[in-house]
Parts: sequence; structure tokens; C-alpha cells
Amino acid sequence: MRQEDDDLLNSETGAAEPAVTAAIPPPSPAISPVLGAYRPVAGLHDELVTAAGEIRPHWARFAAGLEELGPQELARRWEQARRLIYENGVTYNAYSDSRGMERPWELDALPLLIEAREWESVSAALIQRAELLNLILSDLYGAQRILSEGWLPAELVHCNAGFLRPCHGTRVAGDCYLHLYAADIARSHDGQWWVLTDRTQAPAGAGYALENRLVISRMLPTLFHEARVQRLASFFLTLRETLRGLAPHNRENPRIVLLSAGPSAESYFEDAYLARYLGYTLVEGDDLAVRNERVYLKTLGGLLPVDVILRRMSDDLCDPLEFRGDSLQGAPGIMQAVRSGTVAVANAFGSGLLEMPAIMAFLPGLCRRLLGQDLKMPSVATWWCGHQQALNYVIANLHRLVIKPTYPTRGIEPVFGAQLTTRERGQLAERIKAFPRKFVAQEQVARSSAPVWTSSGVQAWHLALRGFLCASGSSYSVMGGALTRMSAALDLLGTSMAAGEGSKDAWVLSDRPVDQVSLLRPAGQPIELRRSGSDLPSRVADHLFWLGRLVERVEGAVRTLRNILVRLTSESDPAALPELPPLWRALSDQGHIPSDHSLRAGREFLGGIERELLAAIFDEQRPGSLHSTLNAVHRTASVVRDRISIDSWRILNRLDREFVPPQQAGFVQLSDALAVLNQMIINLAAFAGLGMESMTRSQGWRFLDMGRRIERSQHTIHLLRSTLVTALENEAPVLEALLEIADSSMTYRTRYLTTLQMAAVLDLLLLDETNPRSLGFQLAALNDHVEELPRDRTQPFYSIEQRIMMALLTSLRLADIEILCELDKEGTRKNLDRLLSRCAGQLPKLSDSIMHKYLIHAGPPRQMAEIQPD
Amino acid sequence: MIYKVTHTTTYSYSETVPVCHNEVHLTPREHPYQACSYNRLLIRPHPVTSGKRVDYFGNPVSFFTVQEGHHKLVVTAVSKVRLSEPPDHRPAITPPWEKIRAALPGFRHPQGLDAYQYVFDSPHVACSAELAGYAHASFTPGRPILEAAIDLNQRIHRDFEYDPQATSVHTPLSEVLAHRRGVCQDFAHLAIGCLRSLGLAARYVSGYLRTVPPPGKPRLVGADASHAWLSIFCPESGWVDLDPTNNSVPSLDYITLAWGRDYSDVCPIKGVFVGGGNHGMSVSVDVVPLS
Repeated sequence: MRQEDDDLLNSETGAAEPAVTAAIPPPSPAISPVLGAYRPVAGLHDELVTAAGEIRPHWARFAAGLEELGPQELARRWEQARRLIYENGVTYNAYSDSRGMERPWELDALPLLIEAREWESVSAALIQRAELLNLILSDLYGAQRILSEGWLPAELVHCNAGFLRPCHGTRVAGDCYLHLYAADIARSHDGQWWVLTDRTQAPAGAGYALENRLVISRMLPTLFHEARVQRLASFFLTLRETLRGLAPHNRENPRIVLLSAGPSAESYFEDAYLARYLGYTLVEGDDLAVRNERVYLKTLGGLLPVDVILRRMSDDLCDPLEFRGDSLQGAPGIMQAVRSGTVAVANAFGSGLLEMPAIMAFLPGLCRRLLGQDLKMPSVATWWCGHQQALNYVIANLHRLVIKPTYPTRGIEPVFGAQLTTRERGQLAERIKAFPRKFVAQEQVARSSAPVWTSSGVQAWHLALRGFLCASGSSYSVMGGALTRMSAALDLLGTSMAAGEGSKDAWVLSDRPVDQVSLLRPAGQPIELRRSGSDLPSRVADHLFWLGRLVERVEGAVRTLRNILVRLTSESDPAALPELPPLWRALSDQGHIPSDHSLRAGREFLGGIERELLAAIFDEQRPGSLHSTLNAVHRTASVVRDRISIDSWRILNRLDREFVPPQQAGFVQLSDALAVLNQMIINLAAFAGLGMESMTRSQGWRFLDMGRRIERSQHTIHLLRSTLVTALENEAPVLEALLEIADSSMTYRTRYLTTLQMAAVLDLLLLDETNPRSLGFQLAALNDHVEELPRDRTQPFYSIEQRIMMALLTSLRLADIEILCELDKEGTRKNLDRLLSRCAGQLPKLSDSIMHKYLIHAGPPRQMAEIQPD
Repeated sequence: MIYKVTHTTTYSYSETVPVCHNEVHLTPREHPYQACSYNRLLIRPHPVTSGKRVDYFGNPVSFFTVQEGHHKLVVTAVSKVRLSEPPDHRPAITPPWEKIRAALPGFRHPQGLDAYQYVFDSPHVACSAELAGYAHASFTPGRPILEAAIDLNQRIHRDFEYDPQATSVHTPLSEVLAHRRGVCQDFAHLAIGCLRSLGLAARYVSGYLRTVPPPGKPRLVGADASHAWLSIFCPESGWVDLDPTNNSVPSLDYITLAWGRDYSDVCPIKGVFVGGGNHGMSVSVDVVPLS
């Protein structure tokens, strides 16, 4: 169901965007409405203007281009671009899956321009650093010469939870630990670049850099092309080549998975984004199984071998057998598979060790020892308090230093000495002196400034850049771009990706014309043809199944609720409508309103019913309310984001966004609620339509559709049972309502004109397999799906699912409509009730059987009880 | 002394376990006073993959994966071990403990570098001022390191009550120190914590203790248990074992399996499984002197 990624691949060419109109007045230096009022921060290096206030040469053409566009046009385009970000649902998840913590990604309209030669020297320095860090890891997980020779204090390794002892002595392919490396860099007032942080574990942010590029290159297509900006795609191409080259088996067409910590992880959006862009399967630890010292992907069709794992979660969580036993996210046995060389992991397990800031104090010496060179780009000045001299310096200079724990600890934030009172500084000094080895101090960094487009004009904000490197051959290649974060205040730019107030696209300019790169294979290179088969991870099938059910549950509820709202907002006296009580019962039978709430006559009637209905729609806290089901849709969809096309995702986002009751004077009118429901019906139809027209008929689609069909069957069954089993004196209004809910009025009218008859309505809603809203249609579709599920075809017997479906479909097909309509002495339709209750009982069994066979695994791995020696 | 050791661990489950991955420290490691002439691991159901390697601390480790659905897993290790008596370390003439503390960070020879890793916190042992305080009563200024360590060993034996009900594998050291109760694992961790809080190197030793039946009573098969003690580093003597649980300096009755920073590095059996419902476990250890 993967949408073709062409739009992502070709996005940087921005070909779809119309060029800027030709009739531009010539630029006049006197008039510069965009950048004219820009004032850099005094005393800092500014990226745009020199100390003398002149625009730097490499910005000149771009700056002129901005002025040509003018502030109005820029504002208009920026509005459009922001809508794109919003619609694509680019978010940053700050440590939680609760929706409140999902922050939209903030991007600035103006890119940062970096000169080609400048970036070349930055690149050379970062390549040297990546090679150095790789050599350090290789030594520490091997001979440990740098410890015995005293280049690095041994305790920085011994005490470090990032030093994974099971990895010691395990050879990694090509002696490469860091396949991906990122460095946070900034420059001081004299223009000198410094490294602030090393990202060696699972560097995040490259995907955001790509998304930023996508948005800005579309917003400023002409300027982008004229500026000869280096493309980001070639970096990802190298990454793909590197990962492919790691495969110990199937080197031609290895199975590469992107291992994510799941939807609650900080980087989940990016995990899904990159998996999609690179064409890898997005997996969680639970999707992997280790058998015979090989890693496999659990799919609907069985276990498929995995050759390379692009790891996006912390290494210590990856194997509960050999690393942290309390991890529920990993796959037990994976380290042994690495040891036996059947799978390659990037970055190698154990590489998180070098994320300790203390290492920076020792890099100059290590660089000379291991590379015989001087470090090309300095690290921010760092003191490890375990050495007496450093300790003395730190204590004396606390007011101008940033204090961090020696070993990175989640949840412990750096302390800025400058922000402490004298008394607090004294207390901190005591804590450091008590355990000096546990503290590191770093100088607070000055950062350069650059123009940022804000609502109050273009302003100078502080910058931090994250550069990305990818192993290539025996060295590294650097992304021709970077993730740029910025902030109005200096100390807001910590090291976390979430820190700061937004990001910027970084344009690294090129001296030469830039090559067009695509992640698609070059023409002429043969490719193994594939039809999506049963290699869908079971977990994903599970989520798609539930997504189908939840979306349909929303639709069922919306249709019933809308029908009632229409009646309540019409001219007739609601208390006199005979169809209202049965419809109300249908709502309560399906759990949308509490079952103890019955319709009461009298003055209270309308007020009570209105309150209940609005709560059933908008009350997030109420189980079974439309709002809570929509939240569940959102959660489930987020988990399988990489499997949902961008357009479908936009519709789901819109479904969410437009679910806001227009409030007038603090309360919602029924008619406003009705408008919301009407809009939802359209969005739901769009989602269903995309599913029908744009998804390949893979197992993923099948599970989504099965979920939908099961849910719609149940909705229809409940609706008919609640409204038709007990006969009414005047049934025509109920029949009318049922036809409306089932979107079948038009069909009925064309067939029968206006005579509303029980038998004809029942036939249309129950038995008619050509009506996509009938129960018969759902069961026939389910029957087809069940036939197509992966199974052992040599087995002579029907599966449980097949039997359930055959029995259900047959009993429905054999039903006689006249008999179903018959009333007994008490005025109930016993036969109809019997048929419906039979279906109602069998469908959950079908659902359970499918879940059990295809979706649910034996549960999370558990630790064996430990034995206490006595 | 030659011993035959049989160590059987049985896990039982209320529901099927389709797969389990295990890692065990059940092969006695060699050291200057111990040689292992025979070691076999019997696993039922039969594992599809199994193998051996040496861990970071130099201990032999076996790993295996059972992929056959089972309700019961039985792991039996049978070993033959020959022990010789360690020399008398003459505690009274060992160097002052402060001198060793000062020297540890500067060691560049392999044994010293290796010892230095045992000075720091580990998953089950966190240094603290309280532990240092308790240790200081034995480690008076200038006292020979081994003499002080033997005194600490003795004090733990005297001040703490052996109580198998008091703690579990996960009871933190601070609680053991506060309640003054525990089992051999707790006392070993406690002594290690005390020594490390002073800046000395101490490691955890997992193994077996041969139990001698009371006079006139027969030896009970399977009544022995896995045991734990500690080892302290003094450069002149190397590593010297101490057993605070029994107030002794281990010699011919102590069979070493493995050593590490604490229990978590060398626990005899660990494993991860799926399914299984409720699970229970039983252990029997039998140490038979052959000569």
C-alpha cells in the first residue's frame, strides 16, 4: 500500500511549481523591504552581513531575489508552505504518545546559505572526527590500547553504561562502528566553527532536514535553482549503498529494516518518514525474532530473514538477553546473531559509548595518537572534573560554565552556572567536590546569528547546525546540507532536537552545476520484480485491521448521530417523532450513550437529549464517544504511518482538525454539531475512496478492509436489531431513517418509488449483495478475504475462519424475507432477531480467530526468574 | 582436592513456551588454584543452537536457544574440578590500604588495568558515604589492607543476620545495610560496596561451597547451594577471596564458577522467553569430594 515515492524523490527539483512572474521591477538598493530592517546581534558572527553591515557575497543574489518577491508575496507563499507542513502532519514527539505532546514541526521561511568552500572545510573536519571516533570505538571494543597508554582515563569507559561489555571482542564488518554520525556545530564571534555534541548512537534529524528542503525548495523554486544548492538525495543514496554493502547474505537484494523504538519514541515521525523514503520496512523489536542465530521478520506469511538493521533506538535496549534485561523493546538473541555474523547493525551496538561529553577533553591527544594529526575543528572547551587541575578550574569558574553529568543520563538537564544564585553555585560546587568524577563542565558557546522571518519582520536569531555523515568506503561522506535549529534566546538551544524554537533549511551552495539525483535505480540496471506478498509484518496487519474497524466505527456513529440531529433540528416537534425512541435505543445499544439514559417525556425532554447527544459526540473523556473513537483512529494511524499514503494521512489529519464544535457563547448548537458531522461524512468518504482506488490489493489492504467489513456488519446488525425487532404502530418513519443511515434511500426510491415496505427495506439492507451497505455485501466480501489469507494450501480442511464465513453467508442467503418480517403474538420479529443474533455472535469469533492466527504473538519477551545464591 | 559438582535448574511453566534464549555461567573457570577437567551441560528439551564463548571478564559462558514448545526446561551442569591450596597471604605485612587506593588509577600493567575496573559502581553495587562509614571502622589509617579487609569480613558476619526471607535478587544495598539482614549475595555485595566506597578494587565471585554434614549424619544429596563471595585486589598478593557469610578466607571448600563486578555479570542462568503463563523454578546443587 506504499504510495509511489516519486513526489518525495523528485521534490527537490520543484518542477511542479510555476515560475515566478516575469514582470519584476529591477532591484533597487534603496528599496529593500524584506531585509532592509535586519539588524544582526552585536558582538556575534552574523551569517548574512559582515561586521561592516554589508551583505556577504554568497547571499547577494538570494537577498536580491527576496527583495524582488517582496514581503507580501513571501508571506503568501509562506502561508501556503506552512499549510503543507500542517497537512503532512510533520510532528516532533516529545517523549510521549499522548497527543498533547506531539508538537508540530516549526520551520522558518528563510534558508541559511553556506558558501561552498566554507562547507568543504567543515566537511573535512567532520570527516576527520568521524574517522577518529570510529577508531576510538574500535580500540575500546578491542585491544584498549588508548586506556593502557593513558590517552583516556579508564573509568570513563568502565563506569559508562554505554560501554556494552558483550560487544567487546566482536568484530564488526569493515571495522566500522559508525555508519551514521552527526555533529552539532556552532560558530563563535570570530567565525570559527566548534563541535558541541557528537551523535554516535542513532543520529536523528536527517529526515527533518529532508522535509525542510522539500518545503522551502517548493516555496522558493526559482531562487533555489539559481542558487545551485547541493542536493540532499545523494547523501541518502550513499547511505543506501553503505547499508546494502553491509549485508552478509543476499548482497544483491538484501532485506533491510529500520528498527524503531515505536510510536512513543521521540523520533517516531522521522523513523516512519525515513523508512518510507529509503524504502525499508519499519519494524519494532517485537517484529523481529531470532532463530538459529539469524534475525527474522515476523510476517503474515511466516518468518523472513533480515540482513541489515538500521537501528534508530538506543543499543542497550536492543537485546534483553545480553544488554538491559528490563527492556521490552528489543529482540532477545540479536547480539548473538551479530556475533555470528548473520546480520549487520548500523550503527554497531556499543557505539552510544562516545556520546559522553567528557570524551571531548581528550580528543586532541587521541587524534594525534590514532591519526597522527591535529584535530581540525575544536570541540567546545570541556573539563572532566576527575582530574584535580580541571576540578580546580571548574570550581573557580562555575559562573561561566555549563555543568553536565559525565555519563549521559536521561532526564538530567545541563546546569548553566550563570543562571544560579551565589548560594546555589556553592551547593553545586559541594556536589561536584563530593564526586568530581561524575561531572563535566563545558564553556557556554556563542553562536552565530541569521535572519529569521517572524510576524514582526526579519530578526536575528541564534543558530545551531547538525551536520550528517555517512560511512562510504573506508571514509565518510557529508550531507550537502544540515539540520539547522534556531532560537531567539541563546541558552534555549540545548542539544536535543526538540530544543530551540524551530528549524531552517540549510542551502550549501555549489561552485559547479548540481547533479540531479534520484533514489530510484538508474535505468538499465536490472531489478528483481516483486509483487507485494505476505511479507507484511504481523504487527502492521494488526494495526491496519484495527484502523479499518475504528474508521468504520466512526462512520457508523456519525451516520446514526447525524440522522437524529437532522430530526431534532427540523420543524416537527421531536417529542412526536415515532422513530426517535428506536434510534435512541440503537445509539445506546452500540455504547454511544449510557444504557440507563432513556428518553423521558415532558419539559426535560429536549434539554436532556441535547446534552446527551453533544456529549456522545464531543466528550473526549466518555468511553465510546465519537471524540474518543477519533482519538483511537489517530493513535492507530500514527503507528502505521509509513503504510498510509500521504493523501490518506492528510485526510485523517483533516478529520481531526475539523472536528471542532463551533462554539457560540460557550455552548454548542445542535445545528453546528450537524455541520461538523456532515463534514466528517465527506472526509470519511474520501478516506474510504482512497483505500479503494489507490491501495494495491496486498495483505495490508485486505486487513484494513476486513476490519472495516466486520465493523460495518456489526453496525448494521445492531441497528436493525434495535429498531426493527420490536414492531411499531407506524413503521414508515423508522424505515425512512434506516435507509438514510445506510445511505440507501436513493436506491430504494429508484426501485420502489415511495412506498416504504418492511420486506423491501430489509431486503435492501440485509440480503442484497449488490448494495455495499448491506450485511450480505459485507459477509460476501469477508468470505473473499478469508479465502485469500495466507495459509498452508496443502491442508485438506477448511480453516476456522472459512467455516465461520461459509456458515454465516449460507444462513443469510437461505433466509426468506417474508419469514423474517413475520410478527409473533407479542409483536416482535423473532425470526429476524434469531438471524441477527446468530450473526452478531459469530462475527466476534471470526475476529478472534483472525487475531489469534495472524496477528497476536505469544506476547512480549519476559525474563526468567533469577536465582538468588544463598 | 577433586570435586564432582552437579547443578540442576528446573523451570516449569503453566502454559507453553514456544521459544527461549539463555545464557549461563555454569562452567568453572580456571585460576591459579583451580583446574576444571570435565564440564558438560545437559539441556532438555534439546536446544537447536548452542555454543560457548568467553565473556568480558574472562569467564566461560554457554548460550543456547530452545525452539521446541515446552512446559519444562531442565538445565544440568556436571563438572569435575581440582583445587589446590592458595598460599598464606600474611595479612599483617600487606601494604597500607591508602597506598593501594592511590596506586590503582596509575597502574599500566594488564593486571592493574584489569583490577581498576572493579573500583567503580556497578548495577547492583552503588558506592555511598554510609558504606564508606561502615568500612572505616576496619580501615583505620595506615592499616595493612588485608588485615583491614579480614576485619571487615568478620564484622559483616557478626553484625548481619543470615535470613533467606529478608531479601531478593533485587534488594538494594542501602536496604541490606539498614536492616542488617540478607544472604550470601547481599553480604558479598555489601563488602564489595564498602571496599569500593573507599576506592579499593573488589569483585564478586559466583561458585559453590562444599558443605560438611554434622558429625554422624550422612551427606544429603542436592542439599548444597550455589554460593557467592568476593575478592579484593592487593597488588603483591593478587586477588584474595573473602567470604563474609561464613567469616572465612576461602580455600579448598570453595569452587569458583565465574567472577564479575557483581551478580548481574555472572548470574548462573539467565534467559528470556515468550508465553509461559505462570512460572516456577527449583535448583539443586550437589558437591561430592572424589578424593
